[in-house]
Parts: sequence; structure tokens; C-alpha cells
Amino acid sequence: MDRRSFIRKSLTGTLAASSLGALPILDLLALPALAAGAPPLAVRQGRDIPALVRETIAALNGMESFVLPGETVVIKPNIGWDRTADLAANTHPEVVRTLVELCLEAGARRVLLFDRTCNDARRCYTQSGIRAAIDSLGSDRVRLDYMDRRAYQSMVIRGGKAFERWEFYLPALEADRYINVPVAKHHSISRLTMAMKNTMGVIGGNRGRLHHDIAEALADINSVIHSTLTVVDATRILVANGPQGGRLKDVRTTETLIATPDIVAADAFAATLFGLQPDEISSVVAGARRGLGTMDLAQVRRV
Amino acid sequence: MKASPWLYARKASQTLCLTGFLWLFLQTEYRGVDELPYPVSLLFRIDPLAALADFFAPGSFHWQLLWPSLLVLCLTVIFGRFFCGWVCPLGATLDGCGLLVGRGHRAFAPAWRRVKYLLLIGFSAAALTGVQLLGLFDPLAIFLRSLTLAFYPVYNLGLNEVFDWFYEHPVPLISPVVNQAYPLFRDNLMAFHQPIFSLGLFTLVVFLLILLLERVEHRFWCKNLCPLGALFGLCSRHALLQRTPDHLCADCQVCRAGCRSGAVRAEGHHRSECLLCMDCTGYCPEDRVSFNFKSLSRSGPGVDLQRRGIITSVAAGLLVGPVVKIGPESYRQNPYLIRPPGAVPETEFLQRCVRCGECMKVCIGRAVQPALLEAGPVGLWTPLVVPRIGYCEYNCTLCGQVCPTGAIRRLDLPQKKQVVIGIAVFDKDRCLPFAKGIECLVCEEHCPTGDKAIVFEEKGLLVDGELRRLKLPKVVDRLCIGCGICETKCPVEGVSAIRVINEGESRRERSGLVAGPYG
Repeated sequence: MDRRSFIRKSLTGTLAASSLGALPILDLLALPALAAGAPPLAVRQGRDIPALVRETIAALNGMESFVLPGETVVIKPNIGWDRTADLAANTHPEVVRTLVELCLEAGARRVLLFDRTCNDARRCYTQSGIRAAIDSLGSDRVRLDYMDRRAYQSMVIRGGKAFERWEFYLPALEADRYINVPVAKHHSISRLTMAMKNTMGVIGGNRGRLHHDIAEALADINSVIHSTLTVVDATRILVANGPQGGRLKDVRTTETLIATPDIVAADAFAATLFGLQPDEISSVVAGARRGLGTMDLAQVRRV
Repeated sequence: MKASPWLYARKASQTLCLTGFLWLFLQTEYRGVDELPYPVSLLFRIDPLAALADFFAPGSFHWQLLWPSLLVLCLTVIFGRFFCGWVCPLGATLDGCGLLVGRGHRAFAPAWRRVKYLLLIGFSAAALTGVQLLGLFDPLAIFLRSLTLAFYPVYNLGLNEVFDWFYEHPVPLISPVVNQAYPLFRDNLMAFHQPIFSLGLFTLVVFLLILLLERVEHRFWCKNLCPLGALFGLCSRHALLQRTPDHLCADCQVCRAGCRSGAVRAEGHHRSECLLCMDCTGYCPEDRVSFNFKSLSRSGPGVDLQRRGIITSVAAGLLVGPVVKIGPESYRQNPYLIRPPGAVPETEFLQRCVRCGECMKVCIGRAVQPALLEAGPVGLWTPLVVPRIGYCEYNCTLCGQVCPTGAIRRLDLPQKKQVVIGIAVFDKDRCLPFAKGIECLVCEEHCPTGDKAIVFEEKGLLVDGELRRLKLPKVVDRLCIGCGICETKCPVEGVSAIRVINEGESRRERSGLVAGPYG
């Protein structure tokens, strides 16, 4: 499919969806992700990763409550580094694969995966194991693509505190659903890197400049890219030497998965795995203040 | 000209070899596997000049890499200069492009043929004194380096322009097809990252000059200048494959003007000059010409090297070494002279490297760039790591895999991760935390070593009269391998706030200190 028909179809799709949404009967089926009030947060533990992913998503009423049949879904793992899965620098390939499977089962027409990597993209995609995991699905509805250098667009960030405008990756903006799948890691400046930071993988420009005011910058970009669902891979976490790691001694096995439609709550909870309080992470605080989600874990609905 | 089956065979062979080498060239790229699956630098493993450079370099001869070139020499002893007419990609390019630029028919004095031998002798003598210049004139190196540094980047830019145009201007029916084809091209026929080389234009001009020599005389380069042709010429003087008739026929003499290499002359058929193009099997009006194997005893006219010429070229060659070495050592003069990991010590490196450009083609991060004068007066086209353009990828060993002469040794991954090619140094006047009091982690974050070679120290720093606690980055000398990713990624625009210098590189001889120069 070319970009033109893609945009046209997504526009008609949105139009159709919004007109359907006007019917009162369909309101009963309204996505829980958009329900007001306390956001649901599912946390599960388990050694068998595919089962763990399925169980966690099932707790949020299944992928069907986030992805509607015929939709285009972006799954955004962290594939930033030329590191193997055991080193916890990238999202675990099995987490990614199972989420893709769930989206396909929910009837997604297309599932797109990509990340703007730090090392050579080809090396990262292969070394992370994500290339092999996606290939093993053998589905032509799934595409793990390298970033297309032509597909960035400069966007105005309304209410941006660190930036007025930045370049964003169009396929991430145009998708019907955006599923954010970070791995929870230590980070030397922002202390931890999780879901809000993972969004940096779909922006263009000189990303190094974001670090000067990392908390507000992350809040800025996440106000443009809305994560329908956030799944934090904490099957193993990088507790030091992040975000790239490289030593097994910095990796702690936590066998945990966190899923929630609230990106700030996801990061807030993930912080506790590192023995930190949500208010110790400046980007979480900035995100909550900017209305991107809830940082007070007492306010979330554990499911 | 009548059609001769030999002529078709020669053209087919040229096309096939050229296509094969171009295909290998396209495979000289990371495509998802750490070990390149094809012998991509085959072109230089069959190159006797590369073997000659290797032979003159210190250390043992790389039999394992270069045995095919000796095989080619043996075949030359039997068949003559078949390589020039049937295999050489530069020769084939000149034959093909000659039609485009126009072909001159000026008959140069036979004395011009000597130049290539004198060049070969001079370069060999220079190699004895430790200066290797063979690579500059090696036709295969010229071919591949022009391809790598000039033609391939242009080809990629051009194709990308086309793809981008159809991407940005949706044309019904055509654009969808073009957009669909893009990943296929990108992953198989194009470079993943647009190649960028500092000497692209210069290399192109050199190539075009050689091409323009076709306007003077067909295959001017091959007949008069090519040192590889000279080496083959020396080997094929007594070649077993011989032409009949071995003289100009009294009644015809068409060959005198028709022979593209000027090999058929009054005194006989010069096997050292004959490129075995097989044209004469076609244009002979009487169908007299054939090539057959004949006995060893019948030697043809020899190479007319004059004693004066030989002495001059040997003397000139022997002088090159001392003359070149009157300058300071290049790594002292240029602290940014960084060689790819696995490079042998600098003196030996310059003697081994044939400037073929394979390492520049294969480098995954575009880090390897050709030198102009950065590596001294004879370092032209040798590979440099220029971290502001690209960095050395931590888990990659490709340059060592493609180097045909062992100038860059093949390292396995654990070894490579230990090899120090330089060390990163902060410029505290530019580095954001030091200079502006702004925290930044980009270098630390990207530093690939397991135990990080860039760490933070939290310190109080006076910024605009106000004391701030800041994380200040610091290089751990014993852990830094000089990969340069910090310099590539440094967000400070212009000159990076952290730069790699060649201090402490593994290949340099040092004292036996265990802990490094400063403990």
C-alpha cells in the first residue's frame, strides 16, 4: 500500500469510526482506554513470557478493547542498541512477538514495528532478536521496517515547554493505535528510561538536544504521540549502566510485565521496581503535571 | 570485421567478470550476518600486485589470502596476458566506455611501452626501501576505489532522488509501484546509508583522466602505464599460447594498424604486449590467424628495456624511501590519524595497504574515509577512521574480513573489542556540563564498552557565579578503545566536544608497562 492510499484509508476509517461513535448504543462498547476516572493498571509476574503477556493483556479485557478489527497498529518496542536480549537494553523479542500475535488475533489489518536506533539499525534489529521473532510469525500483515528518512514531519507542539516544534515520524502519527513497549532501564541522566522515553524512538532531529531538559522534553513529545496502550517489559530490568548496558551483572530478573493505557502510571509503577518513588523521576512528575496521566499509584485501578 | 567465436568468448568473459566483480561489490555490505558470506575482496586476492606489496612488506607472506594471485601468475606463464583482455574490470570498462568518450588512433612510439615496466621496477625498488606505491597505480585498486568513493555514492544519490521524487509527488499508478520497490532496492542493490567520502570528487577526476586517455589511444593505460600489465608482460614473454603467424605477413600487414595493443610488429608478435583480445582472428582477411599451444623453446621478441631506463627507475625508486622519510612521523604530526581496528603498525600498514577501498566500502558506520595528506605524503587513499563522520561499530569486524593484504588483520569479535585504536579526550571549553553547566549524557549513553569508558563524577561546579551539582563526564583511559561513537553523537554542533586521538593505540610499540603510559 502506498502512503497516499494509506492516508486516505486512515482518514475514511477515522471518519467512519467517529460517526459510529455518535450512535449511543456503541458507547456501551466504548474503549476502556478512553474511560474517564481511575486508569486500570495490570501487573503480572511469570517466567513463561508469551503466557505472561497474554495474561497481563487479558487483565485489561484483552487486546480487543484496544485494537479494533481492520485497524493499523504501531507497536513501538525499544530496539535502540546493538545488544542481545539477555542484556536488557532492548525490549524482549518474545514480548514483542506475543503482542503482535494479540493484535493480529484482535483483527488488526496491519501491525507496523520500528524504532530509530542508536547503533546501526540493521545490527540492532538483528542482534535484539526482534527481527527473527517477527520473521517467525510469517505474517504479511506485520512489518518490521527501518525508519524511512523521508517520513518525518515537523509538528508544532502545543503547550510545549522545552520545544515549540519537533520532527515526528508520520507512520507513528497516522496509525490508528500506538502501543508503546519499552524495557525498564536505568538511565544516567533521567534516572530511569521507560515508556515516556521510549517515544523518543519515533522522533527525528538531533535527539541529543533533548537531554538538556529531559523531563519537559519527554512530556512535550508524549503530548503529540498518544500511546493507546503501554506495556512495560520488566521481564528483566537494567539496574545500572543504562540505557545501553552490556554487562549481565547489571541485569536483574524481575519476570514482571506492566500494562496500562496510562503512560505516566506505567512509568510510575515501573519506577517502584527499582526501589524508587514515582516523584523521584522528573519525567513522571512532568508528565503528570502536563495531564498525560496519573502518577499517584493510589489513584490507579489495579486489575 | 568477421565474427570470430573467440571474439565473442572474450567479450562474454569480460562482461561476466565485470558483472561478477560488481555483484561482489554490492555484497560488500552488512546484510544481517556478522561474517560476510562471500569472498568479496576476490578482486585483490587474484591481484599479483597486491601479492607483490605483501611480499615486500615486513612479516610473512599471506599465503592464505593471496594464493589465488600466484595461480593467476602461473596461468599467465601459460596463456599470456589473458587477464588484461579477458578478466580485468578496468580493461573492460575502458573497452566499454571507449565507445562513449571516443577512441583515438594515434600511434605512439613503441618506446612508450617501456614506461609501465619502468614504473613497476621503480615501485618495486621503492618497496624495498619501505615505501609502497603499487596500490596507487594498481588498475584493480583504481577500479574498486573509483567505484567505492565516486560511482557508488553517485548511483545511490541518483536512485534516491528518483525514489524520493515519486514519494513526494504521488503519480497515480507509478508512485505506488516505485514506493513498493524502494525497500527491495535499499536492501539489495543500494547502500543502506548514503555513502559519503571526502575524496570522492578527486578519485572521480583521476578515473576520468584514465578514461580520457582512450581518446589518445585505445587502451593507452593498459599498454603504456599499467604496472600490473607490466608484471603480466614479464611473465608472458615465453607464454605457451602463441599466435600464428608470429610475424607480419609480407602480403597484408593489416595487423600493424589493427592490433589494439600494437603487439604485432615487424620483428614479430610480442607476447608480453598482446592482450589476447582476439580481434585479429576476426579481421584477418585471409583467416590466417590462430592461437595454439607451442613448445617452450620458441621465444618471441623480448621486452625492449634499455639499461639506462632500468638504472634510472631503480635509482629513483631507491631514493623514494629516504626522501619520503625526511618528514616527521605522521602519527606525531597528526594526532587524529586513526586507523581501523586490526591495522598493523603504521610503517608496515603503509607497505601492506594497496588503497583498494574495500574497507571503506564495507564500513557499516561510514567511519572509514580515504586519506589525502593526513597520513603523510604516501598515505593517499589509505583508510582513516574519521569519527565526526562515522564511528566504529562495537560488534562489527567487517573491515578486517575484507582487507586482501592483511593491512587490517582479521580479528574475531572478542579480540576486536580489546583493540585500542585511540582514546577519547574531552574539550572542556565546549562540553556542555563543563562549559555551560548543562547536564548531557550523550557520550556516556552511547559508550559501548561493557564497563563504561565514559563515566560520570558528580561535582560542584561554579556556573555564572552560582555553585551547581553536576554530573561531569570523564574518560576512563584503560577502558576506552577509541571507537569514536562519542565524537559522532556529541550533540555540540561543529567540532565535537569529545575527540578521539591516536594516543595509546594497540598497534604501536610501547614499553612493557602493564598499566599504560600514566599508570
